[in-house]
Amino acid sequence: MRVLIGKRAFLFALFVLLFVIPWVANEYQTFVANLILLYVILSLGLNLLIGFAGQLALANAAMYGIGAYGTGLLMTHFGLPYWISAPGGVAIAVISGTLLALPALRLSGIYLALATLAFAQFTFWLMTHWTPVTFGAGGFIPPPIDFSPLPVTQETGIYYLSWAAALLLYVAAKHAMESPVGRAFVAIRDGEVAAQALGIDLLKYKSLAFAMSGFYAGVAGALYSGLLGFVGPESFDLLQMVLHKAAVVLGGMGSVVGSLIGGVLLTVLVEVTKEFKFSIEIAFGGLLIVFVLFQPNGVIVFVRRLLPGWTERLHYVPPDKESEEDLAAAPDPDPDAAPGPEEPTRAAAAGPRGGDPG
Amino acid sequence: MTEAALKVRGVSIAFGGVSALEAVDVDFPEGEITGIIGPNGAGKTTLLNVICGMNPPDAGDVLLKDRTITGLRPNRIAALGLRRTFQSSQLFAGMTVLENMMAGLHLMSTTGLFGAVLRSKRMRAEEEEMRERALAALDFVGFRHFANRTGDALSFGQQRIIEIARTLIHEPKVVLLDEPAVGLSVNRVAELDALLRRIRDERGVTLVMIEHVIRLVMGVSDRVVVLNSGRKIAEGLPESVRADPAVAEAYLGHRTNARAPSQ
Repeated sequence: MRVLIGKRAFLFALFVLLFVIPWVANEYQTFVANLILLYVILSLGLNLLIGFAGQLALANAAMYGIGAYGTGLLMTHFGLPYWISAPGGVAIAVISGTLLALPALRLSGIYLALATLAFAQFTFWLMTHWTPVTFGAGGFIPPPIDFSPLPVTQETGIYYLSWAAALLLYVAAKHAMESPVGRAFVAIRDGEVAAQALGIDLLKYKSLAFAMSGFYAGVAGALYSGLLGFVGPESFDLLQMVLHKAAVVLGGMGSVVGSLIGGVLLTVLVEVTKEFKFSIEIAFGGLLIVFVLFQPNGVIVFVRRLLPGWTERLHYVPPDKESEEDLAAAPDPDPDAAPGPEEPTRAAAAGPRGGDPG
Repeated sequence: MTEAALKVRGVSIAFGGVSALEAVDVDFPEGEITGIIGPNGAGKTTLLNVICGMNPPDAGDVLLKDRTITGLRPNRIAALGLRRTFQSSQLFAGMTVLENMMAGLHLMSTTGLFGAVLRSKRMRAEEEEMRERALAALDFVGFRHFANRTGDALSFGQQRIIEIARTLIHEPKVVLLDEPAVGLSVNRVAELDALLRRIRDERGVTLVMIEHVIRLVMGVSDRVVVLNSGRKIAEGLPESVRADPAVAEAYLGHRTNARAPSQ
C-alpha cells in the first residue's frame, strides 16, 4: 500500500509541531524537543562531512564542545553578551574544523578517523585539564543570557533560537547539496581521482566540508551552552561522537532529510533508553552495528521505497519541472535499461583484464 | 601533420627504482586520433597519468598547446581543457547519469557555497544551463533516456559511453581514453568506432587512446604510437606501424611463439 505523504508536508508538520511544543508541553518535554533540534543540526553537519563528502572524521563531538566552550568562556572570562559570544564560539569551531581538513588531504578512511579521533581526545583533555581557562573536569556555569527587550525566559529564547537555526540549517544543507557543491562532495566521496580529472579541487571542497560541519556543530554547541546553563567536558566525550554518528547512520548517510529523521529518532531513543535505565553505550553501539551491517543507508531507504517523492537530488530543478523529473526517474520496463545477455556486466567485464596496468 | 595539441618531451618516470617511462617524446596532432599500443606493462597508462597530472614525471615536460603543464595538479590541468577516462568505470555511483554529466561541467559554476545556499538567480540560471547542456551531451551519444537513472542500473558498455560523453561536455581540447573498448561486445566496439570518429570530426577534439583491440585502434587512429618497456619503439600511420619489424618483435617476441596482438 502506498501512503502518499509529501516531503514538504511532512517537514511543514514537523516544524509546526516543534514550534508549538513550548506552549503545550511540560518543561521536560520542551527540553527534549530542544535537544531534538540540536541533534538535527549536529546530524546535518556531520552528514555533510561523512555522508556526502565521504570524509570519515570522528571529531564532531569535539567541534560541538568547542562551540559550547567557546561561547561559555567568552561570556565568563570577558563578560561578553551571548549575541557576541555565540558567533565567536561558532567561529572558533569553524576554524578548528577547517584545520582538521589538513590531515584529510593526506589521509583517508581509517587513518583519517584515527587522526581526527586523536584531535577529539586532545580537545577533551584540554577541557578536562586546562583548569585556569576551561575550569577543568567540573565544568562551569556561564552567566545567564539576557533576552531583553524580548519578554521571554532563557529556556524559551534558546528554544526558538534552536528552532530557527535547525530550520535554516536544514534548508541551507538541502540547497547546498542541490548544487555544484553537493556534486563536488559526492564526486570526492565516490572517486577522488575521477573528481580531480573533472576539475574538482580536492583541497577546496574537503576544506569546505570540514568547515561546514564545524559550523553546524559550533552552532549546536553555542545553543547547548545556553540550553543547559552549564558547560562541562563529559557532554563532549567519545559517547557523544557515537551518538552523532548513530543519528547520521540511523537517518541515512548522504541524505539531508535523513539527518532530520535521524536527529529526531536518536534523541527520542536516548530518552527512552534513559527511561528504562539501560546503558546508552550498549544500546547505541549495538544500534550502530546493526544498521551498518544490515541497512547502512538508514531508515530513509524504507521511506523512499514507500514514498516516491522522497528521493533527493544533487542538482537544482525549477519547481514546475520537479514532478516531471520524478516520473522520469521511476523505473520502467524499457529493454535498454537492463544489461542485455550479450552485454557483459561490470563484474564480468572487469574480469581478467580489469586490473591490467597497461 | 597538423600542429600538435599535446606534446610530451623527454618524459621519464620511475616507481621505486623501476623505470616505467624512459625519455618518451610524442606529439599528438590537433584534431586527430592517436592510438597508443604496446604489450602489458609497456607504460601506456603511466604515460596518460603523467599527462593528466596524476604522476608528475621525474624528468621531461608535457605541453598542452604551447603551455607547460608539468607538475600542475590534475584539476588545474582539467581546467585547461584536458579530460580523461579510466580503465574501470568511474561514474559516480551516488549520482544519476544527468548529475554525473553536470559534475563534468563543475568548472562552469561561478556562484560557490553562498550562491547555492541562497539560491541566487545566477546560480539557478547556471544550474538550468548545465542541465540543458548535460541533456544535449547525452543526446550526442543517444542516451538521453538514461538521464535520471543511476550508473549501476546501466550495463558496463553504456557506462563507458556515458563516461566518454562526460569528458566531452565541457568542450575540452584533448581527451585521453584509457582502453575505452575493454569489456565491450563486438557490436558495441563498432558503435564506439563510429562515436570516436564523430567526436573527432564533429567536435574537433584531439583524442589520445590506449587500446588493446587492435582492429579498433588500427581502424580509427590517424596515427599510432607503440610503447614497449617504457620506450617509444615506433610511431606513424597505422599501416606503417603494422609493418614495422620492431613492433612485431615487441608483441611476438624474438623467434618465440608468444601471443600476437589480441583482437
